[in-house]
Amino acid sequence: MNESVPTFRETSAEPRVESLPFSHLSLEIGHLYMEDFAEGPDRLRRHFDTVRPWADAVRNDVGAHLADARPRVSTCFLIDDYFSRLTTPDELLPPLIDAAAGAGLTIDYLARESGCAVAPGADRTLVRPAESVMHRLVESPPPGSSGFRPPVSRTGWLSNGRRTPAQRSSAALDTAGAAWQPPRETDARGHSVFLDIELWSEAEGERTWSCAFLASVWQLVRLGLLRDNGRALLAPTPWDDAGFPTDWDALPPVLRLNPRAAPFTAYVTCSVLPRRFLPVEHAVRVVLDQVHVEDEPLRQVAERSGSEGFAVPAGVADRASYVFPLGL
Amino acid sequence: MSRTGRDPHPVIACGEVRTCLLPTRDALDERAAVKLLRLRPDERVRVSRHPNRYVVSPEVLTGVDCPLPTDTGARVRAVGTVGSHASLVEGRVIQATASFSLPAVGTDRRQAWSYYLVRPGSLVPVGQLPQRALVRGFLLGHRPGRLDVGSIAESVLARISRQDRILDHDPPLTAADTRLRWTAVRTAAGEEPSSLFTKGEDGLRTLELSLPSGLPPTAAVGLCEELALHDWLLTTVADKLDGLPTGAADDRAVLRVLRPLVDHLLHLWMPRARVDRVLQTVWNQLEETPGYSRQWTAHAQRIRDQLALRAIHLRDEVPGRR
Repeated sequence: MNESVPTFRETSAEPRVESLPFSHLSLEIGHLYMEDFAEGPDRLRRHFDTVRPWADAVRNDVGAHLADARPRVSTCFLIDDYFSRLTTPDELLPPLIDAAAGAGLTIDYLARESGCAVAPGADRTLVRPAESVMHRLVESPPPGSSGFRPPVSRTGWLSNGRRTPAQRSSAALDTAGAAWQPPRETDARGHSVFLDIELWSEAEGERTWSCAFLASVWQLVRLGLLRDNGRALLAPTPWDDAGFPTDWDALPPVLRLNPRAAPFTAYVTCSVLPRRFLPVEHAVRVVLDQVHVEDEPLRQVAERSGSEGFAVPAGVADRASYVFPLGL
Repeated sequence: MSRTGRDPHPVIACGEVRTCLLPTRDALDERAAVKLLRLRPDERVRVSRHPNRYVVSPEVLTGVDCPLPTDTGARVRAVGTVGSHASLVEGRVIQATASFSLPAVGTDRRQAWSYYLVRPGSLVPVGQLPQRALVRGFLLGHRPGRLDVGSIAESVLARISRQDRILDHDPPLTAADTRLRWTAVRTAAGEEPSSLFTKGEDGLRTLELSLPSGLPPTAAVGLCEELALHDWLLTTVADKLDGLPTGAADDRAVLRVLRPLVDHLLHLWMPRARVDRVLQTVWNQLEETPGYSRQWTAHAQRIRDQLALRAIHLRDEVPGRR
């Protein structure tokens, strides 16, 4: 059949999607709470000394998968300024960058966690990446789902299967023998590891996103899969100033500290993290597995990585890898 | 099949279109329409201004894992996502569509969810797909425990209707909602597209399409939405004109019926506005029999004639104008 040739187009009727530059891998070399910084520069130095050999190993591994190209790996560090703000950027950042350098590591990009919740967008508007991702959740249906289920946008909880049916609390009603039914992981191999994730909490009309959900947004940002009305989101801002401001909100959400750094967004990610983040990152996998990413960003990554002969897993959750070393 | 996006060569596509008057006094301007249909903050609402103003929401996916409807009672499990969206024509008529397509080959078991998310709007059968039984079963309607596409379309409408800051829920006329349930299968090589449109009771219509295999399912969705819109317009106007009194005493009552039709509906007739060129033959067949445009033209002419007559009559009644 002949394709019909368009004779009339309207740009307002066609979606436009910005392309991004891509590294092969985005390497996260730490994610610390404000409390960790309070322990002083030795604590930071120990952190980066522990991360260093793993960072080298990950870098070498990327190189081994590329026939002729030089591996493009960018490093990043996420600062938690969303849940607590004990110190100011001008106090916290210089010792952090020094500690990394002392261990032979360069922080190419520095990001603020609150940028995953609210960040400046184009034309002086604000973008809300977490809210956008929440609207992109398409829940994995447990068997028997025929199209009617309360959406996650109303409950604020996302699971990897079927929850235990609600129990009657009155003992008198329980005499009928309403037996407890276990929850069930949809993709279980034999036995379940059921996980139910709180995406946000609300107090006095204020919504606070959970660490697990913001970490999921952070992965999607690094993977270059988010857009806001077709435009890039949290694009890095070059930062060559000698100093840092005294207010976190005066810092862009993602800073490029190293002018020679490979692109911030990457085909795949690796995060070297303290083991206490293991449950959070399990939740991240479950969230990423249920985010419907726009076709066009997926296509861009598939095309570019394909032309470089770099294998990228089809599933978004499988594009994130982790190292949880002893000593962190 | 492409790596991402909708399967361009499914064997069957099915869906349901719900059409109703937007529950608000005045038609929405483009700005309000875009706000109403912004179902996701990060994705643009598409606006087309020619040949009429047409605003389309982003596509929303609903995950399902359940038996497909069949008329033989055969149980065929399918897993995947049903796509749905809403569209607003000239700020006045709202449509919600839920649809899915099915590939020729299923899988032997349920895959990881990511497999389905890169095939938006596709349901992948687990096992064999009895095509005829599915098409007939789908047109028969929803049965408990089976796939419920109508309720997915309905939930899109409900979500939009809840936006009370934009909608005042005081429509200028009453009009019954309609549902168009449709199926599309492939034609044999070299055959022309064909269709069977059935107008049932209680606002239910069905459309059985045979389409050339190269045509994407979105083309069928576009055709069904156009057909549903024009069928709804014709049904609504015909119902209003049915039993219209002709006596001179009823002038004001008649004007109360005719005026909202002129204010809100008469300019909406725009057949083939966005129908894929290949599918125009399907529309042309419907123009032959039963002849929708002929009937619409007759109704529109009647409304204008009635208004002209009443205007003359009312002028004659005003004292001092003889």
